Amino acid sequence: MNRIPEKQICEAWLACAELPSEVLRALLQLYDGARGIYDRIMFQKDSLADFLSAAQIQLLLAAGSQSRLDRMAKLLNEHHIHTLCILDDDYPDSLRDILDPPGILFWTGNLACLQQPRRLAMVGSRSASYAGLKATERIAKELSRKSVVIISGLAYGVDTESHRGCIEGGSPTVAVLGCGLDQTYPEKNLELKNSILQHGGLLLSEYAPEVRPIGYHFPYRNRIISGLGCAVVLMEARIRSGSLTTVDHALRQGKEVFAYPGDPTAACSDGNRSLLRDGARFFTTAQDILSDMNWLDNLPHVGQNSDCSVKSIPENGAETAVYKALENGTLSFEQILAVTGLSSAELSGILTIMQIKKMIDPLPGKKYQLTH
Amino acid sequence: MNEMMARILSMGVSGVNGFPVHVEVFGINGIPGIEIIGLPDASVRESRDRVHAAIINSGRSMQPRRITVNLAPADLKKEGPAFDLPIAVGILIAMKELIPSENFQQENTVLFGELSLDGRIRHVSGALPMVISAKENGIQNVILPSSNAQEVSCIEGIRVFPVSTLEQVILHAEGKEMIEPQEQTTYQELRREHPSTVDMSQIHGQKGARRALEVAAAGGHNMLMIGVPGSGKTMLARCLPGILPPMSFEEALETTRIHSICGKLPAGSGLMVSRPFSAPHHSASVAALIGGGQNARPGEVSLAHNGVLFLDELPEFSRSALEALRQPLEDGIVSVSRIRHQAQYQSSFMLIAAMNPCPCGYYGSSNHPCRCTPQEIRRYLDKVSGPLLDRIDLQIEVDAVPVQEINDSEPAESSACVAERVARAREIQQERYRGTSCFCNAQLDNESIRKTCGMTKEASALLNAAVEAMKMSMRAYNRILKVARTIADLDRSEPITSAHIAEAVQYRELDQKYWR
Repeated sequence: MNRIPEKQICEAWLACAELPSEVLRALLQLYDGARGIYDRIMFQKDSLADFLSAAQIQLLLAAGSQSRLDRMAKLLNEHHIHTLCILDDDYPDSLRDILDPPGILFWTGNLACLQQPRRLAMVGSRSASYAGLKATERIAKELSRKSVVIISGLAYGVDTESHRGCIEGGSPTVAVLGCGLDQTYPEKNLELKNSILQHGGLLLSEYAPEVRPIGYHFPYRNRIISGLGCAVVLMEARIRSGSLTTVDHALRQGKEVFAYPGDPTAACSDGNRSLLRDGARFFTTAQDILSDMNWLDNLPHVGQNSDCSVKSIPENGAETAVYKALENGTLSFEQILAVTGLSSAELSGILTIMQIKKMIDPLPGKKYQLTH
Repeated sequence: MNEMMARILSMGVSGVNGFPVHVEVFGINGIPGIEIIGLPDASVRESRDRVHAAIINSGRSMQPRRITVNLAPADLKKEGPAFDLPIAVGILIAMKELIPSENFQQENTVLFGELSLDGRIRHVSGALPMVISAKENGIQNVILPSSNAQEVSCIEGIRVFPVSTLEQVILHAEGKEMIEPQEQTTYQELRREHPSTVDMSQIHGQKGARRALEVAAAGGHNMLMIGVPGSGKTMLARCLPGILPPMSFEEALETTRIHSICGKLPAGSGLMVSRPFSAPHHSASVAALIGGGQNARPGEVSLAHNGVLFLDELPEFSRSALEALRQPLEDGIVSVSRIRHQAQYQSSFMLIAAMNPCPCGYYGSSNHPCRCTPQEIRRYLDKVSGPLLDRIDLQIEVDAVPVQEINDSEPAESSACVAERVARAREIQQERYRGTSCFCNAQLDNESIRKTCGMTKEASALLNAAVEAMKMSMRAYNRILKVARTIADLDRSEPITSAHIAEAVQYRELDQKYWR
């Protein structure tokens, strides 16, 4: 009368114990999937002492009760969460090849977007500079227009802008979370999370539903982000930033690393520059990445405006003067006034028009820069 | 007959208005002492000791009588030491120590002033509303402390006798040594050169912020300045009273009245001719801002009436204090209700707020790293979102001026030049809004915006494009139109052109950057 629960439930049950992933993979191999392990532990009362500690087996026994399983089934159902096991055929190949692949993955959304051959992991600081965020959004958008799927971590800052830019560019985006897929961390990004799903994107996690976002999950999770991408793009990081763990994973996985130079004097991107010194790929535009990755030919693309953003050119004398002034870098309002000799009323007007034409970006501190 | 009786006129203050008080003094044989009745507060009750000493020190004697002083009407609370003088004179008359001459029109003369023990007369607060009310009650003579005389020198139709000792009053009443009534000054005379404390010419660089300030002044728009510490936000705000059009006589009266009852007028100062600038600290309570306390005193918003209310470190103000600003910002008036007092104070002011871009202050600064997390920044900015921001038309960023620029730059335009342009723009607005309830562009509601803000075709297209490109709200749309109206007025142009719109869009920095 005792029936082994279906595969998805067994996999979710197994993930509850948060076993070290090498143990998890070994068990899955040995017993031919989660159902086998369930049978072994729950019905044959095998404590698998070679693999599991007493505490771990206790956890699994408790989680295996009918009421807990029902609850899990309900959660999976409610949040449309599916599971994948490393033995499955549709387990992403890119992950199978990494050093420490997750044994079980939870996903919701559109799994097919991992099939897209052009995938990039985009990472960076949660408290990036305004200029860094703007650049992230812009580059993600342009990459997305070239059918590149952007993978990131749904955190604040660079992650948020990467996802947002990718959605705007029309390609699906993938977020890898450090908590259960029913949770949202950070909470303010709930809207972004929903929008990722609405636009054909994918949410991934190796943690079971109801697992809280705990600090050590995130650096560990980063191996999945770098693993899913064909290369890692570092937008902005300080020397001791957590984003650099993703870069470490990428190097261990043998992936290319791109680093954005940022403002050479700004401390917020000194991590990037140290990477560049160590031989990371230099880029300032999406075009740089595309050509380095050999992705210049156009793929059929489903997004709206498929051609790259048309760049406006200055149309009159005053606009040209402002454009020329900004060509050498970021300037404040007062500096532009001094260089161009315009009145502040005139300059305000010109800046508005140039902003509408997307020729310049406003930065905090009343500064302006050319859009690239 | 041993009973003695005297009746003297004086004035009390309730809210911003004075009311007549009849000081009745009755003396009779009995245990010597002075009893004051008629809802006096502590400072009024203490006046018996001051009066006693002052009478003796003025060379008169105090007969040992039982004296009752009644302050009528008995159901209104009397406060402050201004009743010392009428009580002293009343006692002297009642005890026949002072026989008033024919010329001293007792029924037609109001007295008030605080006595010191040696018989000198000291400054009181609220002289202006008291004198105005005396005049309204048909009274022709006022005897008041000489330090208060300047304050009321512009009031016509009433004779003001400034006095500095009780003895002077006695001699005047007896007709032995008449005091000369004070000469009247006209408001125009009073408004001679009154330089505001900070002149625009002292501000180096900051051309963008100067222009925004000019626009704010020209349209009466509230303004929010965001900038790193030391970028000159406070200094810019202090310039504003100096470039606003000068106060009319009525405005000066209203403002001085409020300052007078708060005792904020320094002794010897006249009617306030320059616009007030009130800058409460960010720890200010609701009562301090709006008014309150036991006696329902006016708060900072009323002290800023017809002037500028400057709130530095806006997000540090308590949320309840900021919420309470909504009524005065909307109606230009606050009602303060307490158990014993209810008062309405005028409070139409221009709000100038300043804040840092983030808790540490250096977000976006080029030479200082910012140490705030995005969550912290958001939490900081969220403190002022919503209804309050809704009432602020201009939001500008102010960047710090580099030191060498301060040394190099040539002297900037003075406040006087800017004030002239502002005054012209205000005239245009007054002309346009004649016969309606509003008098400057800031007060336009959505309905009248549509009527008065006619745009050229290009301007309208540009505005739509800007709102689209910068993802602005409908709220921002109307604010931009209002500010563009003011810019057009400064330009003396009837239709709003695309240049005006383009400039106005730049004064919505928050919609573009931080608040997203």
